[in-house]
Amino acid sequence: MGKPVVRIRDLRKSFGTLEVLKGVDMDVQKGEVVVILGPSGSGKSTMLRCVNRLEEPTSGEIWFEDTLVNDAKTNINQVREHVGMVFQSFNLFPHLTAKGNVMLAQRKVLHRSRTEAERVAEEQLRKVGLGDRMDYFPAQLSGGQQQRVAIARALAMDPHVMLFDEVTSALDPELVRGVLDVMKDLARGGMTMLVVTHEMGFARDVATRAVFMDGGVIVEQGAPADVFDKPQNERTQDFLGHIR
Amino acid sequence: MRHLTRALIRRGLLGAAAAVLFLVAAAPAFALTNPDVTINQQVGGESTRFTFTATTDKDAPVSALTLRFPEGFDIRKAYANVVTLQGLKRTTVKASTSVRGQDFQLAFDPAIGPGSELRVMVYSVMTPNVGGTYALGVKYESGGQQRSAEGADLTFSYVTASRSVKLSRYVDQQPWVAKWNSVTALNLFLKPQLIVTSAPLMFTGWLMSLALVGVGFPLAIIGGLMLAFMKMSKIPPLRWIAAAYVNVIRGTPLFLQIFVAFIGLPIAGVHAPWFVTGFVVLALNSSAYLAEIFRAGIQSIHKGQLEAALSLGMTYPQAMQHVIVPQTVKRVLPTMTSEFILLFKDTALLSAVGVFELMMYGSNIVARSGNLTPFVVAAVYYLLVTTPLINWVGKLEARLALAEHGQGAPEPKRRSLWDLLATRRALTRPAIEAEE
Repeated sequence: MGKPVVRIRDLRKSFGTLEVLKGVDMDVQKGEVVVILGPSGSGKSTMLRCVNRLEEPTSGEIWFEDTLVNDAKTNINQVREHVGMVFQSFNLFPHLTAKGNVMLAQRKVLHRSRTEAERVAEEQLRKVGLGDRMDYFPAQLSGGQQQRVAIARALAMDPHVMLFDEVTSALDPELVRGVLDVMKDLARGGMTMLVVTHEMGFARDVATRAVFMDGGVIVEQGAPADVFDKPQNERTQDFLGHIR
Repeated sequence: MRHLTRALIRRGLLGAAAAVLFLVAAAPAFALTNPDVTINQQVGGESTRFTFTATTDKDAPVSALTLRFPEGFDIRKAYANVVTLQGLKRTTVKASTSVRGQDFQLAFDPAIGPGSELRVMVYSVMTPNVGGTYALGVKYESGGQQRSAEGADLTFSYVTASRSVKLSRYVDQQPWVAKWNSVTALNLFLKPQLIVTSAPLMFTGWLMSLALVGVGFPLAIIGGLMLAFMKMSKIPPLRWIAAAYVNVIRGTPLFLQIFVAFIGLPIAGVHAPWFVTGFVVLALNSSAYLAEIFRAGIQSIHKGQLEAALSLGMTYPQAMQHVIVPQTVKRVLPTMTSEFILLFKDTALLSAVGVFELMMYGSNIVARSGNLTPFVVAAVYYLLVTTPLINWVGKLEARLALAEHGQGAPEPKRRSLWDLLATRRALTRPAIEAEE
């Protein structure tokens, strides 16, 4: 195996006196699709947000390729350029159209020309199936469409890894599929992905590895089929028993 | 006050005051061979009084006097009052008068003794509409001889009536105006003559109010933004300074701040033109309110917006500039506009320290005329600015709702500012949150 894209070592994070992450270690290789499962409060979202330092780790190390992410000397903006993130609440910029959302960071961060940014935006929006919605404002789109715009927005930056933070949790059931299909295409295309989700079907189909977290630590990990069908840990068994 | 008095005189509103000034300036008696004439009205086209003074010849009594008024003067209704002055003694002279063409003829019985100081006052002379310098022709009968006043200073000047004065006279002659003014409330608040004369004068004050707020408000926006970012700064002293400033300014009356600036600063040795002091104090005051509006606006943006921008590699300033502030501007525009309206109305407070803005003109004319119409005129001038702004805010809000909530958003009905302020809170919630 080559050098991991993301390497996490003894990651700890406390909010005040509450310790949410109690020492997490994880390597993510290029092309891996890692699905992170666990009950709410297990620290999975916090871990994901530490990767691009939306949360400041309390201690431990997070490496992105050759960069120590949580080093004061690191230009975090350069890391974030290459780490795409999609949020549960979409967070599209409401004052910009779908195309405008996808173009903004290309223009301001990558300094692409307007024509180039526009070309990339149109290409990415077509890929997520929104070729006919480019000039719509977020409020004129359904939740599923908004989330696909958010994915296109992240992909337009040519990220080396994508972070998905419960991206289907806020969607009506009938809209979930469109978003998952986009993610599946992305996974099959070889994108390195860290996915926090409750979608077991997606995890089974696409994930190369399933990680089960509870109480701020990784309890169990392995091939999805193994983790789902033959869970070793009692807490994993309990959790899977509940959501099935 | 002096400025205004001058302005009023120029426009002929203060005929009485002008007359006083003029009579004070009038020369004392001259010999009849060197007589003088004054006019107690500066504005043409009005019924007026002439004062003719002279000293009679030493050789013979004067039995008759003819004053020839220039063409254009109407003396058909004129009448006269004649006195002689001997030392401090003032004697009324019996005089029979007659009008023949432009000649106003006086016959004295008994004749006026030699060497008397004569004063003839001719009332109800209508001057022509066109002002200018005119000469009075004077002839008199003395010792059976016809004589002319020689080397005389018999010229006088007055100005053409201003358009508003003419309009006021025209209005004055309309039959409905008398009926209108017979209703006390209408006369007191909506006197037509005063509307036409005060409106052009107060226009100057209106422009001054607009200029004060027009310069002050943009400065307040800059100051308000600075204070807002200081209040959200990570550096505690910046936060403290901004918070203290905002609290002091918002916690004290603007009236007090105006007095400190206009009375305190000169005492402290700072002498700025009153216009500068005026817009600076308005800007300093409004920036504190705008700071709170901006800060609340920025903080009302869902924190996911900042996270999304940062996760794309944008710097904090970039995220502010391209993501947060554009959304904030749309959201705070209605509140900002109502702050502008408040500030515009507050320019009236500057009248208390002698700034010649709209309210100052209004209260001065009210004080002069004893009629409240100028206040109504001032109200109209204020509404001329505030009403379109309130309507504009309504339309803006509708557009904003459409952009943020989709094309299906219902067309808003006509809305008052109150409704806007109430619905603003609902609008500031992002569409995303509503779906969650």
